[in-house]
Amino acid sequence: MVLLAAEQLSVGYGDAPVCAPVTVSVAPGTAVALVGPNGAGKSTVLQTMVGLLPPLAGTVRFAGGPVDERDAGFRRSVAGVLDDDAFFPSLTGAEHLLLTARAHGVADAEQVVAAELAAFGLTDRAGALPSALSSGQRRRLALAGALVRPADLLVLDEPERRLDTAMRRVLADRLAALVDAGGAVLFASHDPAFIGTLADLALVVGEDECPVVAPEDAVAALQEG
Amino acid sequence: MALCGGTVSSLREQIAARPAADAAVLPGALTAAVVALSLAAGLTALFARLGPVSATPAAVGWWLPLPAERRGLLRGELRRSVGLAVAAALTVGVPVVLAWTRTPAGVLAGLAAGALLAVIAVAVLVVRQAGGGGGWVPPVAGAVAAVAVVGPAVAGSVVARLDVVLPDAAGRAWSLPAPLASGVLAVLLGLAVLCLVLADRRLADLPAGALRASGETAQYATASVFSLDTRELGRALGTTVRRPRRPLAWRWVRHPWQAVVAGDLAVLARSPWRWGQLAVGAALPVLAARTEGLAGLPALVAVTVVLGWWLAATSLGEPSRRASAAPAADRGLPLGGAAVVWARAVVPAAVLAGVCGVSALLIGQGTGAPAAWLVLGVVTAPAWAGAAVRAGYRPDLDWSGPVLASPMGAVPVGVSSTLVRGPDVGLLGTAPVALALLLGAVPWWLVGAALLWSLALGALAVGTARPPD
Repeated sequence: MVLLAAEQLSVGYGDAPVCAPVTVSVAPGTAVALVGPNGAGKSTVLQTMVGLLPPLAGTVRFAGGPVDERDAGFRRSVAGVLDDDAFFPSLTGAEHLLLTARAHGVADAEQVVAAELAAFGLTDRAGALPSALSSGQRRRLALAGALVRPADLLVLDEPERRLDTAMRRVLADRLAALVDAGGAVLFASHDPAFIGTLADLALVVGEDECPVVAPEDAVAALQEG
Repeated sequence: MALCGGTVSSLREQIAARPAADAAVLPGALTAAVVALSLAAGLTALFARLGPVSATPAAVGWWLPLPAERRGLLRGELRRSVGLAVAAALTVGVPVVLAWTRTPAGVLAGLAAGALLAVIAVAVLVVRQAGGGGGWVPPVAGAVAAVAVVGPAVAGSVVARLDVVLPDAAGRAWSLPAPLASGVLAVLLGLAVLCLVLADRRLADLPAGALRASGETAQYATASVFSLDTRELGRALGTTVRRPRRPLAWRWVRHPWQAVVAGDLAVLARSPWRWGQLAVGAALPVLAARTEGLAGLPALVAVTVVLGWWLAATSLGEPSRRASAAPAADRGLPLGGAAVVWARAVVPAAVLAGVCGVSALLIGQGTGAPAAWLVLGVVTAPAWAGAAVRAGYRPDLDWSGPVLASPMGAVPVGVSSTLVRGPDVGLLGTAPVALALLLGAVPWWLVGAALLWSLALGALAVGTARPPD
């Protein structure tokens, strides 16, 4: 069974593609990494695959149907961290997580939120408004917001960004456990260790071609520069 | 056609036979003074938000580190702020002074006093700015502005209810003896000079961080004005949300749409500034309806109804404006895009039902059938709630298409249709209230028609509002 599938998907702005057409699929229990240099088009591919940008050509389907980002079912199934400011600005970090959890019908929402705050080292800053958090803390809060709720698919754009080494390791292990439990993750990353820990496959985003390779090959390519 | 003609003819006869307003108890001069006080308080809050002395980030980076006296670099900014304040004081002061006195000497003295008070206010704000404190100025000024409008409106309604006749203050109370008026002006002049000297000396103490912060705000606000983006202007000048004292638990949230409502309620509960806007919005038309001279002009009262209720709707449209600017938070909820927009109309509809209902009840005081006025106001709320959501989610101006030359620079062709998106629905929804004001009464058929009209407009406004792609 395939959860998210792109077929000859051409992405870009206006009518100019930013990379070669992409063909990739994400199944439950797998993690797919998008790798490539800065400006290769990884974020554009991610945004197009979750319906935030229209494709220039090709198709992208979620659970067999067309992707519609405005659909309640899609929003219930897919959690993403693609935007740095995906917060309700009048709510504290803890309140943001709690409201998200309650909207998704999470049982024992308060305990779940407390556990996420602790996992991301935000317990001391739980009562702060997003505007009072540092950029790294906001990043951790956004990741906690994606993990505080159930989702079939997590879509993350450079989740390791602005995280220290220890927190990157914690996050990679956490996501790997989620994949082992049957979840799916599609993520873009520059971090070889993160990719090595988490990814089952890697899509190398390039100007001429976008092959799907083993993560070891993608890591080797990254380390070669 | 015969039916329509007969209805129009009947309405014209009823309008012509409209009873004279007997609940207009506030002297026009008093109303002019409180409105001027409210505007002055609003301007004071604005000047405090913009510094009043500021420096652009470039100026802070390049000029302030130079081994030159900071006072000389900032003196021009002080002069500009004082000039703007004096111009604003004269603009606001002319109608007030003319309402109180018509003698040339009196008018000149009144305007001079207003200008000197403006100079003193700016100088005091600069001294406060140099001292690093004064975060209290905008909220206090906002409270003064709200009380200045709400207080007389409520007092006027109470006086009308008690049937008390107030003395006409204009013309008699303000005829100060010339020596006393000259003395007051001399004292104000002395104070203004003293405060200006003090402010000039304190320019050297203005911290670079404060200058940069107010400069960024001024730049942001100026850019918003020139790009005709009122939503960005609101963000530039808006107050920051304060950290809540007690976290909310929302145990009553069981469905995704309730999460949207809960978030919107939190925005309202944590923004006292918006409570003031709601109070002013409800009171402004009441103030007009209680004022001698204005109450007899139903069209003018209807204009204040639109202005006041639009102010209230604007204050409740903040969650829609934020969601339009940053839609990512809503995407985290298991609710479709259209359903989010519908849920976002719940809080405005509920709060505006109260605001418009109370406001209409007091507007109609003295015309009989208070329940009908109350219900007429309540049924108008859906249209205004739709207006709040429609304005919040309105698309950005399209600068990629053809532009027109204007005194402010190039503006997109569709600018007016974009800017009126929201108020247009509210204006149409208020038509039954305007008709009731013209008739001087609220027939029950009008209430029924208003309900259907308002629901249709509200549904149309919310149904056509869309979050950005």
